[in-house]
Amino acid sequence: MEFAVEMKGIKKSFDENYVLKEVDFAVEKGSIHALLGENGAGKSTLMNILGNVLRKDDGKIFICGEEGNPKLIEEKVAFIHQELSLVNDLNIFENLYLGKEISKGFLLDTKTMSARAKEVFGRMGVDINPYTMVSDLNPSYKQMTEIARALLKNAQIIIMDEPTTSLTDVETELIFGVMKALRAEGISLIFISHKLNEVLQVCDSYTVLRDGELVASGKVEDGLEEKDLSTHMVGSEVNTEGIYRPRDVGRIIFEIKNMSKDREYKNVSLHLKKGEILGVTGLLGDGRTELFASVYGVNAPYEGKVIIEGKEVKMSSASTAMKNKIAYVPKNRKENGIISDLNIKENLVLSIMQKISQVGFLKNSVVEGITNDYKSKLDIKLSSLNNMITSLSGGNQQKVVLSKALCTKPSVVILDNPTQGVDVGAKMEIYRQIVSLAEQGYSFIILSNEIPELQRTCDRVYVMFQGELRREFSRDEMTEENIMLIATGGKI
Amino acid sequence: MTYAKNFVKNFNYKKFLVENSALVTLVLLLIIATAIQGSAFFNINNFVNILFNNAIVGIIALGMTIIIIAGGIDLSVGSAAALTGLFTITTINHTGSITLGVLAAFATGIFMGLFNGVLVAHFRVPAFIATLGAMQIFRSMSLYFWDGGGISLGRIGGTPIEHDVLSFLAFSNTRLFQGDLLQRGLPLPIFYWIALTIIMAIVCKKTALGRHIYAIGSNERAANLSAVKVKRVKIFVFMISGALMAFAALVEASRLGSMNAATSGGFYELQAIAAVVIGGTAMSGGRGKPVGTFFGMLTLGVINNVMNQMGLSSFLVGTIQGSIVIIAVLFQMTMSRKEKKF
Repeated sequence: MEFAVEMKGIKKSFDENYVLKEVDFAVEKGSIHALLGENGAGKSTLMNILGNVLRKDDGKIFICGEEGNPKLIEEKVAFIHQELSLVNDLNIFENLYLGKEISKGFLLDTKTMSARAKEVFGRMGVDINPYTMVSDLNPSYKQMTEIARALLKNAQIIIMDEPTTSLTDVETELIFGVMKALRAEGISLIFISHKLNEVLQVCDSYTVLRDGELVASGKVEDGLEEKDLSTHMVGSEVNTEGIYRPRDVGRIIFEIKNMSKDREYKNVSLHLKKGEILGVTGLLGDGRTELFASVYGVNAPYEGKVIIEGKEVKMSSASTAMKNKIAYVPKNRKENGIISDLNIKENLVLSIMQKISQVGFLKNSVVEGITNDYKSKLDIKLSSLNNMITSLSGGNQQKVVLSKALCTKPSVVILDNPTQGVDVGAKMEIYRQIVSLAEQGYSFIILSNEIPELQRTCDRVYVMFQGELRREFSRDEMTEENIMLIATGGKI
Repeated sequence: MTYAKNFVKNFNYKKFLVENSALVTLVLLLIIATAIQGSAFFNINNFVNILFNNAIVGIIALGMTIIIIAGGIDLSVGSAAALTGLFTITTINHTGSITLGVLAAFATGIFMGLFNGVLVAHFRVPAFIATLGAMQIFRSMSLYFWDGGGISLGRIGGTPIEHDVLSFLAFSNTRLFQGDLLQRGLPLPIFYWIALTIIMAIVCKKTALGRHIYAIGSNERAANLSAVKVKRVKIFVFMISGALMAFAALVEASRLGSMNAATSGGFYELQAIAAVVIGGTAMSGGRGKPVGTFFGMLTLGVINNVMNQMGLSSFLVGTIQGSIVIIAVLFQMTMSRKEKKF
């Protein structure tokens, strides 16, 4: 058996915290290998060591049979980070050749560069004009541009850190196609992901890390189930059963009537009942994020009506929404959700600071009281309320952001991609909390492209396609097939 | 004993250095200055001088601090101070009322803040551009309305006037606790500066407005989505800074009894920004402290003072001060980079 990568006994500690304890990791040549683990399990550290970003404390690395040194790694390994490193204002081939441009005399040889760029994309089975601006590309093509850059430097090992998080299912399929094409060429890919169904679908083998230790590795064979992998990841069996609980829903408390906004969404009408959990899904360009940004008042102006408790409200700002008891947890936590320079408690009460301050002054006891309340309600794991928000894991950060929305005492909570970048264990916990909050009378609208997420929590699901609301499914109709059919523009 | 040991062991010196870089710089500088100059530098009367000489820009720098924490910048404060001071003295001379003069100062200052704030927050003009324009407007208006010259308290067009307005001078020139130890006493502006620093520190740390300022500077999108009234807070920040600038202009007008349209307030904005930066406030917003700015201003003041005492050319002061600014930023950048990686 020929290995592209062999890492043996890798140790790494930051200060006194062991992040990796003698980890072995091997990837067969010409295979797609999944690296799994919850947040903080040591995946990123291990890959950063392989990618030469961090130095190992101890252990050995072999790349294609040769003992690894920085130069060899630089040559053979490409690391595609979650945050892509493309320049939006340059076109595709300019990005590919950034820093190693080919020139003829004083001028750039754009002909050669664009031709070679096209050739590289051809190897992936993708036909694209290399003069396209990166800013015009959708996320999957941006990902492919990163892959193309790796191919251009002749990398034999490509590390992909959660490449599919921001992709829709169709785009994900595209990327998988590319990955398979590269595998056929003998290139080895390391696929870091939280999405276990994708792992089963595309990977040949897997390694699971937990708390800096190797807990399992093997081949992806028939009979291997998501449950087996998630059990390894969290250490005990993840209980996905019994999250959803049927409950009585009340009267209609929130309605949208004929809402439209140019090029974003068209003529959308829907309603939400008290205590109900509603899902809204679709593929990229379905307009759900824009629609609910408008509902929350941060995407004005719009046509149509938002009706809360039977009364029309013009949603012109986030504070209008808050006054009308609508709360919003935006997607992309890092950009939209957390304030990295504030500590945990300040982040949590940010929306209600003015309300809870006395003559403008914030009372520490009040702030800590509220924070502790939500800490126990949502089981947020933290060592001190005064720590920076960034010291928390993704799941706990998300719980703080959720608490920030809940502490405004809303009746409707809009959640956009609520479990993005959250590990399996924390995900299930968040689902459970949503359901139990709904039992207490909160109503939820969950925007998501993960169908299992909706199936686990929602009473009803609306499916959107290119800005239009195409269909409503009740709980027993919301199968993956039904939803995908409508989401891709089909009809039942 | 074990407590002390643990404290030493757990003490995060990097974090301490990053958060208190201004204080550390100042202490180092004090030691160096004392080593060079001995008691000519290290005596209470000299310290009083340093505090007094830097109070005006120091107060302006407090306003600059919150603007920069909120993610902005204000280049207009120097010319604004000149225009405010000129307007104040003119008002006092013509009405004979010091109260009206003081009101005029604050009205002008707050209005100028509102002007910048609305441009930046409502019309989304980048703060650098908006306040650059404002800087030129304010300076040019001073030059135009006061004919490129100056104005003195108690005179209209060169002739002394009847009402007794000279008591306005007491606002800056009153000295307390004069005695053997404090040969020239403690001038009031020192107290103003310290008091305003403490007030601003409390506003920043303990109020909803203060925390909103940090939130906006750190992540404006997230703040907006959290229903923080971003526009209102930004405008407020410029208005508070305008009020502080007006206070500083009052101190300046009262200290000298005159203002000059061409020279008053010259480079105040740059000195204020330098003090803020040395004080550890991040130019990208979201991080910083008014107390840091206080020490940053003193750092600049001590350099100036020592170079004066050593008889070095005052033309060289800028070289040293500029270098300190650059070193301060380099230091903060390398430290925060290391913090992030590990």
